[in-house]
Amino acid sequence: MSIEALEHGLVAEAPESGWLARAGVLRRLARDRVAVLAASALVFIVLGAVFAPWIAPYDPYFTDLTKVMQAPSSQHWFGTDNTGRDILSRVLYGTRNTLVLGLVGVIVGGAIGGLLGIFAAYYKRLGGWIMRLVDIMLAFPAILIGLAMAAIFGAGLSAVIIALVIATIPDVARVARGAAVGIMGQEFMEAGRAVGVSDSALIWRYLTLNCISTIFVFLTLRFGQIILIGSVLGFLGMGAQPPTAELGMMAAQGRDFLFMAPHIATIPSCAIFVIVLCANLLGDAVRDVLDPRLQT
Amino acid sequence: MARQIVHRLLISIPALLGVLFLCFCLLQVVPADPAMVIAGPDAKPETIAAIRQELGLDRSIPIQFFEYIMRLLRGDLGRSIISNKKVIEELALTIGPTVELMVGGMLIAVPIGMALGTLAAVNRGSLTDRFIMAISVAGVSMPVFFIGLILIQYVGFRWALLPFTGRTGPVWDGGLPSLILPALTLGLVLIGPIARLTRTAVLEVLGADFVRTARAKGLRETVVIVHHALRNALIPVVTLIGLQAAFLLGGAVVTETMFSWPGVGRLAVGAIVSSDFPTAQGAIMILAIAFLSINLMVDVLYVYLDPRVQST
Repeated sequence: MSIEALEHGLVAEAPESGWLARAGVLRRLARDRVAVLAASALVFIVLGAVFAPWIAPYDPYFTDLTKVMQAPSSQHWFGTDNTGRDILSRVLYGTRNTLVLGLVGVIVGGAIGGLLGIFAAYYKRLGGWIMRLVDIMLAFPAILIGLAMAAIFGAGLSAVIIALVIATIPDVARVARGAAVGIMGQEFMEAGRAVGVSDSALIWRYLTLNCISTIFVFLTLRFGQIILIGSVLGFLGMGAQPPTAELGMMAAQGRDFLFMAPHIATIPSCAIFVIVLCANLLGDAVRDVLDPRLQT
Repeated sequence: MARQIVHRLLISIPALLGVLFLCFCLLQVVPADPAMVIAGPDAKPETIAAIRQELGLDRSIPIQFFEYIMRLLRGDLGRSIISNKKVIEELALTIGPTVELMVGGMLIAVPIGMALGTLAAVNRGSLTDRFIMAISVAGVSMPVFFIGLILIQYVGFRWALLPFTGRTGPVWDGGLPSLILPALTLGLVLIGPIARLTRTAVLEVLGADFVRTARAKGLRETVVIVHHALRNALIPVVTLIGLQAAFLLGGAVVTETMFSWPGVGRLAVGAIVSSDFPTAQGAIMILAIAFLSINLMVDVLYVYLDPRVQST
C-alpha cells in the first residue's frame, strides 16, 4: 500500500495485498525512532497490565496499617498509600482497568460511529438525519456526558464506559463518512452496483473494508484522549469506586495526603501521563505513515 | 452576516433540545417515586394518585417534557434536595466564578500558545521547533489534575507563594491571587493544543502566494509574519480554539474540584456525588448551554474574521 495511493482517494486495491501493505507500514514505522520507543513502552505497559496478577509483588487490596504512607523503598518500589497498600501493585491493576476502559470506549464507540458514518454515506437520505444526530452528540463534551451518566446510573465503571463510547461515536462517524463518501465516488462502487451486487455486500465488502484503515488510524489518534477523559472522570469520582484500583481514582485519593506523602497522588498521575503520551506519539506516527491527511 | 448567524442559531436548536431532554431524563430517574415520598409510607393509593395528578406525573412523557421546558422558561429549576435552596439561585452564584476561571485560563493559554506555535512554524525543523512540539505533545498528554497537583504541591504548599483553596472574591476586589493557580492549571493544559494548531495554520499560510508577494515587496520579516501570515492563520486557529471549548469545560470541572473553586463544575460534581438530582441537572444544563454558546460565538467570530464567508 503506497502512500500515494492513500493520498489519492484512499485505496482501492485488492485485499490480498493487505499483509504486504502492513509489512510496509511497519517498516516505515520502524524507521521512526520516537514511534519505536513509544510502541515498546506501550507493549511493556500492556504486558504489565495483562500479567498484573502474576507480577504484582503484593495484593493490591491488602491493607497494612503498620506501613502507612511509606516513601518508595526497596520493599515497596512505589511506596505505600494511606492504608498501607502497595502502590506498585495498585498501579499495575489500575493500569489494567484504565486500559480496558479506553479500549472498550474506542472499540465499541469506533464500531458504532464507523457504521453510522458508512450508512450515512451509503444511504444519502438517511445520511442527513444521521449527521444531524451526530452534530447533537458533538454538542456534549465528554466530561459532561460522563457527569450526566454518573448522575443517571450512579457513579461506576459502566457510567464511564458509556460516556467514553458516546464521546467516541460522533468524531468517528464524521471521519468514516468522509472516507466513505470518497469511496462512493469511485468507479468500482458503480461497477458493483451495475452487476447487481446486493446493498449489504456493497456496504460490507466494498465500503467498509476500504474505510477501515482510515477509521483505525483515527481511533489510534483518539485512544490517548479517551484514556485521559476516562481517568479525569475517575479522578472526579464518577468512575471506579474504592477499593477498585483505577489510576484516576487513585490520584484523587492521594490528593488528600498530598502534603504528607506526595507520591500517593503523583505516581498514578505519572502512569496516566506516560500511557497517554505513548499512545499519542504512536498515534501521530501511525497517522504520518498511513494517512497524512488526517490532521486533528 | 446576520443571515448566517440566524442560520447557525436555528441549527443549534435541536442540540439545545437534546441537552434539555437529557436533563429532563435526569429528573426522571430519581430512584423513588416523588409522589410516594411526599405521601409518606402509610398513604392510601388514592392519596398517592391524587398527588401524582397534582404534580403532573400521570401525564405522558412528551407533555411532561413540554411542561419542564415551560418551567425552565420561567426560571424554575426546582429546589436542591440537600440545601433546599432554589437551584437557580445556587447556579447564579456559581456562574461568575466559572466564567472568571475560563477567561483567566484562555488569557494565559491563547497568547502563549499562539506565540509558541508561530515560533515553531517560522523556525520549522529547527531545534526550537522540535522542542516546542515536544512540549506541546507532552501538554496534550497531561491529565489536568496532574498539573494542578504539581502547582498545589510546589507553588501553593512548599513555596507558599499563592493561595490554592477557594476564592477570596471577584478579580477587581482582591481576588486575583486566588485565581492565578486555578487559571494557570486550566491554561497550561490548553497551551499544547493551541500551539500545535497555530503551527499547522501558520505553516500553511507561509507557503501562500501573498506571503511570497509580501516578501518580494521587501517588507521586513516581522511585518510579513505578524501582518500577513499570523492574521490569516487566525481564521483556522479561532475555529480550532472553539473546538477546544470541550477541553476548557472539562478542565474547568476538574480545576474547580481541585481548588475548591465555587463554580458550576464543582457544584455539578458535588450534586452528583450526593444524589442531589435537581441541582445536578441544573448545573449540567448550564454547562452544556455554555458549551453551545461558546461554539456559537466562535462561528460568529469566524464570519467576522473571514470576509470570504460573509460574501457567500
